[in-house]
Amino acid sequence: MPTDTSTNAATTAAISNVVGTRTRRVDLAKWALPVILLVLVIVAGLTTPGFASFDNLRAILINASIVGIVAVGMTPVTLSGNFFSLGASSSVMLAAVLFIGVFGGTGSLFLALLVTIGVLVAVGVAQGLVVAAGLNPVITTLAAGTIIYGLVTWLSNGAVITPNGADMRWIALTSWFGLPLPIYIFAAYTLVTWFVVERTVVGRRILLIGANRESAKISGTSARTTTVWAFLSMSVGMAVAGIVAGAQLQQIQSNDLPNLTMDTVAAVLVGGTSINGGEGSPLRSAIGAILIVALGNIMLLHGLPTGYRMLGVGLLVVVVVSVLHILRKASLK
Amino acid sequence: MIRSLARPARQYGLQVVILVAIIVTLVIVAPTFRGEAAIYATLERLVLLGIATAGIAVTMIAAELDLSVGSMAVLAGVVAVQLSGLGLVPSIAIATLVGIVLGAAQGWLIAKLGINSLVFTVGTLILLKGAAWIAAGGAPITVTDFTITDPLLMRFWMFSPLSTVAILVLVAVGVFLVWTKWGREIYAIGGSRPEAIAAGVPIRRPMVVAFAIAGACGALAGALASMKGGSVTPDSYSNLVLSCVAAALVGGISLYGGRGDMINIALGVLIVAVLSAGLSAMGMQSFVSELLTGMLLLAVIVIEFVIGRVLGRRKLRRLQFAAAA
Repeated sequence: MPTDTSTNAATTAAISNVVGTRTRRVDLAKWALPVILLVLVIVAGLTTPGFASFDNLRAILINASIVGIVAVGMTPVTLSGNFFSLGASSSVMLAAVLFIGVFGGTGSLFLALLVTIGVLVAVGVAQGLVVAAGLNPVITTLAAGTIIYGLVTWLSNGAVITPNGADMRWIALTSWFGLPLPIYIFAAYTLVTWFVVERTVVGRRILLIGANRESAKISGTSARTTTVWAFLSMSVGMAVAGIVAGAQLQQIQSNDLPNLTMDTVAAVLVGGTSINGGEGSPLRSAIGAILIVALGNIMLLHGLPTGYRMLGVGLLVVVVVSVLHILRKASLK
Repeated sequence: MIRSLARPARQYGLQVVILVAIIVTLVIVAPTFRGEAAIYATLERLVLLGIATAGIAVTMIAAELDLSVGSMAVLAGVVAVQLSGLGLVPSIAIATLVGIVLGAAQGWLIAKLGINSLVFTVGTLILLKGAAWIAAGGAPITVTDFTITDPLLMRFWMFSPLSTVAILVLVAVGVFLVWTKWGREIYAIGGSRPEAIAAGVPIRRPMVVAFAIAGACGALAGALASMKGGSVTPDSYSNLVLSCVAAALVGGISLYGGRGDMINIALGVLIVAVLSAGLSAMGMQSFVSELLTGMLLLAVIVIEFVIGRVLGRRKLRRLQFAAAA
């Protein structure tokens, strides 16, 4: 018996030791991103004229808000182990079309919000149900995105949709303390999603089915229901992003926002949410989006043309995802 | 006899039925979509879509996915147009070589890091697009001497030099995959990677080869399409990758790897090409064919899913029956 206890104690010590190093390394991965952003901002502030001004930092946040909102919304889907939506561009475009169209047609803001969020949630939940039934999420969202794009172009005849005199400019321009409404919407949506993921039962279940689907099932978590919740959360984000984009652009066409899908995926990945699910946070996706826009902004201030800016952002994505991957692999050893 | 037909019927049956159904429907509803002209129009669509799909499909067979193919295509298009002074064949060859080298490097890095290719190629997608912008000097560029690209516009019966190249590429990649050792290795790591490693298949070589093929095909497709048009804009082909993945999936290539061959790829590309050529002969705009492709994709995936479930259940019942007996 005594030998048994000592072995047990040794095992426990070994386990806690392993767990200890593991947490430390994961913490490193967790804090790497805010630190990179901070260093980037400080270095840029010292070396780039015009970067540290309030106006410029505000511009960065405004530019990051649309991609940021979609990235934050997509994070629960990634966390649940369902990769990401390849139909993000089309869905956000659909939201903007609905918002501008209904607002312009009826003049009622309430009705426009209701229709936009309602339709987007319905479309998102439908995709969630299909994915929950066992179909591949990448294929499902790709097909859904293509269908949405085709339908909207068909119904709108490819024309530019304008608000028709309805005033929605205030959504983009109202500001408090010098910051316009979209930044507050971005921040509020990020906080709400963070709270849902970290502090609610649904959120913990999303993390659990992403981390280990089998044990989640055994412990009584329905992968089906949880997946639908993740998609629901994503479609709310897309609806919000579409509303903000519509208000900012004041018009929308089905071909607008072509790069949104890949920009969003890049933001989520740079944020460090694992493609395999179970690890990451909406907060980090928001920081990822800001980091990408900030880097582009610095290069713009240095007078670099489009190509070099894209090259720089691409390099950032490749390096960050590779380093995060190596850190994660090391933490599992 | 019946048993020997069961496998091809399962592997290509659904796609052949869809292709025939689309052709029959188009022949009935589209009086202008007939004969030589229709076949020529369909084959012309194989140049960009067909070649690039062949490349992406190879990475899908390896259970990976190269999302950077569209950016590879535009970079190669820019390189080919910039070098068009060297002559038609050299400029396209150099552009394709760029694709091979970049693709191989990408595959090597992905295998070396052991990183998810979806994640890595999202980064290279942006990076290569940036490289294309730089190579183009930040603006759309055109071929300076248009007589150089004239041979591309020739037409023999229903074939053009471009569609001939596309068919040759499809055949070559198909033969490579099925009949060579390196090709079989790609199937092995895609079908079940742990077993492949246990059986002694090297992981790095098939990864490098698969991504080199994807890079080469993407680059060739982009170079040919850009030279045919005589100009290229650095932000073109951004939707190419999604169309190609859709075509490969409609053809019956699985995202989970190891499944499908070049006949599947050819069927998938043909279904999409016939559909879009037929609809454009009817005067429909391109978004209609995108809409129908999306619906077709969803239908194919759902049907395959249901067939898989039913077959699985039947097999289970047979095994239970055998165990009981």
